[in-house]
Amino acid sequence: MPTDTRLNKELVQALPRLRRFARALTGNAHDADDLVQTGLEKALAKSGQLRDGAAVCSWMFGILRNAWIDEARSRSRRNRMFAPEELGESVADPAAGGQTEALAVQAALARLPQEQREAVALVLIEGLSYAEAAQITGVPVGTVTSRLARGREALQGLLGPRGE
Amino acid sequence: MDINDETLMAYADGELDAATRARVEAALAGDAALAQRVAAHRALAQQLRGSFAGVLAEPVPQRLLDAARNHHDAPGADTHSAKVIELRPRTAPRWREWGALAAGLLLGALGLQLAKQSQAPLITTHDGIALASGGLAHALDTQLAANQPAAATIHLGISFRTHDGHYCRTFTLPAAAGLTCRSDEGWRLSVLSSTDNGGGTYRQAASSLPPAVLQAVQDSIAGAPLDAAAEARAQAGGWLPGVH
Repeated sequence: MPTDTRLNKELVQALPRLRRFARALTGNAHDADDLVQTGLEKALAKSGQLRDGAAVCSWMFGILRNAWIDEARSRSRRNRMFAPEELGESVADPAAGGQTEALAVQAALARLPQEQREAVALVLIEGLSYAEAAQITGVPVGTVTSRLARGREALQGLLGPRGE
Repeated sequence: MDINDETLMAYADGELDAATRARVEAALAGDAALAQRVAAHRALAQQLRGSFAGVLAEPVPQRLLDAARNHHDAPGADTHSAKVIELRPRTAPRWREWGALAAGLLLGALGLQLAKQSQAPLITTHDGIALASGGLAHALDTQLAANQPAAATIHLGISFRTHDGHYCRTFTLPAAAGLTCRSDEGWRLSVLSSTDNGGGTYRQAASSLPPAVLQAVQDSIAGAPLDAAAEARAQAGGWLPGVH
């Protein structure tokens, strides 16, 4: 039987965060796990590109992000883009209480344009620095900053001010 | 004061250099509306992280565990080992258990480590109850999230009220973050989580509390976190329930 390499082990450990990032990116659980699976296969096929000591999570975020853009493009070509109403549907079982708010937030995030959604997911959900998010998305830090600002503004508009 | 929203946002995210940060903080000190916008930025980040915290707690599908370990390359031969060896925790611990566990594990090391900096331990136990003491208790009593020094060793995060009216506050230390709630005995520790995750990609910024702490906040918060004005009123009232 094959022995797990260090990369295998780090990928296994990263899985919960990869699933969370994919959920934020795709807006639904099925697409998210499909995306993670695709991403893992791509990552293991080109594991030589991972520099020693580099963070596996950040590397994988970039792979997932690019794979999702490819997927969205090909869906668009097949004219099978999800309608916005469908995006929130399969996120989770809409139970009572705090789940409702979580679903509302996830649905609001799913309505943002891809470039704002990925900035919000990387910085605000995954806790990366602007510089790390810029590297992953291949844009200058200033672009990340303005995408993040627009994304935040849109989310605050969609969710309304938080009150008692 | 020429502080635009992007700068304010970067401040909330812990992204500014020292000089700009000082300029923003000077402006925040005299402008409650500005401080509220910072609080809104932080609240949105908390809300987003809270909304996706559940994903971290879900069991990881076997197909993804197999994919992470290239087990699709050897179908059949490895189905057994794939079932036997699982690195992930089976379920996410509830925060109370986790809090007790973390406190047990961390209290000794943390008390020791921080004792060097502040002479008095930051957390002490009385009859099995962990209470903030020394510099931590002082910070919880006096430090406001809206205008604290960016270089402060103890960073206060969000303050809020529970359903029974008690005040709770999150705090961040150099290697740990936690939630305390004000009771008759003092600031009682609800959860303590290590943030020293061995060079991971989490930032140690005030706006990124560890999931266990966020979960604890989500479990006990009534309504929205206190804004700067409400926080100041709570402090003026000694953080006692019913005074607001």
